[in-house]
Amino acid sequence: MNITLREMRRSWGRFVLLAGSVTLLAFLILFQQAIQDGLITAFIGAIRNQNAPVLVYSLEGQRTPQASFLSPQQVKDISSVPGVGITARVQQSTYSVKVAGSDVDDASVIGTADPRLFFPRQLSQGRSPSAPDEAIGSSDFNLGDVVEIIPSPRGTPMSVKVVGIAENVRLYVTATLFTDIDTSTRIAQAYNPNTPAGLTNVVALIPDKGLDADELTESINSSVDDVDALTREQAAATAPGVAQVVQSFQVIFLLYALVVPLVTGLFFLILTLQKAQALTLLRAMGAQPSFLARSLLIQAAVVLIAGISIAVLLFLPLSQGGLGGLLSFNGRTVATWSAVLMTLGLASTAASLRMVLRIDPIKATAPGIEI
Amino acid sequence: MSLTPALELKGVRKVYDVAGQEVVALDHADLVVGADEIVVLVGPSGSGKTTLCSIAGALLSASEGTVIVDGNDITSFNAKQLTTFRRNKVGFVFQTVNLVPFLTARENLLVVDELAGRSGNRKAALKRADQLLGELGLADRRNNLPSQLSGGQRQRVAIGRSLMNNPGLVMFDEPTSALDSKTGEHVVDLIHHEMKERGTAAIIVTHDTRITKFADRTVRIDDGVVST
Ligand SMILES: Nc1ncnc2c1ncn2[C@@H]1O[C@H](COP(=O)(O)OP(=O)(O)OP(=O)(O)O)[C@@H](O)[C@H]1O
Ligand SMILES: [Mg+2]
Repeated sequence: MNITLREMRRSWGRFVLLAGSVTLLAFLILFQQAIQDGLITAFIGAIRNQNAPVLVYSLEGQRTPQASFLSPQQVKDISSVPGVGITARVQQSTYSVKVAGSDVDDASVIGTADPRLFFPRQLSQGRSPSAPDEAIGSSDFNLGDVVEIIPSPRGTPMSVKVVGIAENVRLYVTATLFTDIDTSTRIAQAYNPNTPAGLTNVVALIPDKGLDADELTESINSSVDDVDALTREQAAATAPGVAQVVQSFQVIFLLYALVVPLVTGLFFLILTLQKAQALTLLRAMGAQPSFLARSLLIQAAVVLIAGISIAVLLFLPLSQGGLGGLLSFNGRTVATWSAVLMTLGLASTAASLRMVLRIDPIKATAPGIEI
Repeated sequence: MSLTPALELKGVRKVYDVAGQEVVALDHADLVVGADEIVVLVGPSGSGKTTLCSIAGALLSASEGTVIVDGNDITSFNAKQLTTFRRNKVGFVFQTVNLVPFLTARENLLVVDELAGRSGNRKAALKRADQLLGELGLADRRNNLPSQLSGGQRQRVAIGRSLMNNPGLVMFDEPTSALDSKTGEHVVDLIHHEMKERGTAAIIVTHDTRITKFADRTVRIDDGVVST
């Protein structure tokens, strides 16, 4: 074992303390990141994980399906924009629902004219609806559930059967039911007989082959009045509430991400100052500056890798269904944060490195060494 | 035994610039130290003893003159070359700090080998370290940290460390100043023994007149001027 690791072993207490701080901070970052992801998925999972690459809202709709209404003329105009492939009218409403034996709760019913558009991209159980009054449910439901829509005082009861289940498809933190548009229209009219038929909240569409979704949204917005065409990713990221959530979390991340290099940088600065005499002696004995610099970087890397790895290991079991499934383990997020913290941590040793590289070996000959 | 002198200083000057004023620390010093000669260097405080040792020990470049150590002309070496030379060719026991506090006695010797990157021959280095520690009477203290050793023991470890790279010339800058007279005499006796055993040359800086009896020759320095 070389001098670098021996030093760590001899004064392991302080290195463990630093690694512990890194662990704590990295863990908090991963935890918060998972909460943020979970919250955002609960907000707009239904939009992010549906199969239409482009969604068109009305301009007054403020990027909320339920507040958006498109006129038949707008629907027609959208379909005739060059580059638009298949389109589907989509309805969305929220109702009070009840599954036999459980309490009344809210659910969002999303009806589409074409199952290739605005249906969950992936089912975890069951199948897609193939008959009227069948639905895909978010994971709030169980396969085979018969969901009763509680009508308004003038309405009549009606129910749909859950024949498929999809994960992460909640909308504004409520359960969702995906049906064909005839079923969703019947539900709306059963709830309130005065509901007109043929309402359209959103148009979902697929661009023609080879056409970029970004470009198509631009041309729809410029050629159809009062509509707001968005790619799936834009629709998810700019939905009301999402940006605010992201922003408040980003402030937290920024703070944590600054504390990691601050703690690491200060630690190694103090350590370098404390062992200035030993470092000067080593230089006088013939250690090249690069040897001491490498030693410092190795120590920082060992501490950071240990700290981050332990944080990931702690986070791993928690992410398997922790907080009722709100936390999930996203390998890419974990890898990105690990790389960011590693880079910041190593960069924070710059001041100590500079000090180490500037040590003058002649000081070893003078009584009372200072750097 | 080689006939190449361990050290040749020819007209060596060292001038420091202190706030625009020239301080001459070494003034046209000429000195030859034979291959296995022990030279004791005496002189008042500030006379240039440490400066001379630093130049001979490849820690400092001369302002003027020629410096040849063990047949190598190091006069115009750059910082990197001087560092490599120190590592491989000279030994130094400093006036104050000599040991790395977080390494044991034995590891303080082994680190010399690690710096030289001779990790391939670790067994030989271990053997050499243990042999040196044994000769210096420290066999049973080799796993102690410097803080667990007495001043005399620490100084002995430093001697072992300075010999680890098998140097042709070793500088001892006041090796006994922090020790009581009895311990000091024992340490110098050890230095003398180790040097003669190996045929290694040494320069011992001291104020202690009793040490001069261990010398082959005593050299005086006053105000940077060497008189033999
Ligand atoms: N880095 C430096 N900058 C300026 N002047 C220096 C420097 N190092 C040494 N000197 C000066 O050079 C002269 C010789 O110093 P040196 O340390 O060689 O003396 P010394 O004989 O070892 O003294 P001592 O017995 O006190 O250790 C002194 O006047 C000292 O002030
Ligand atoms: Mg001195």
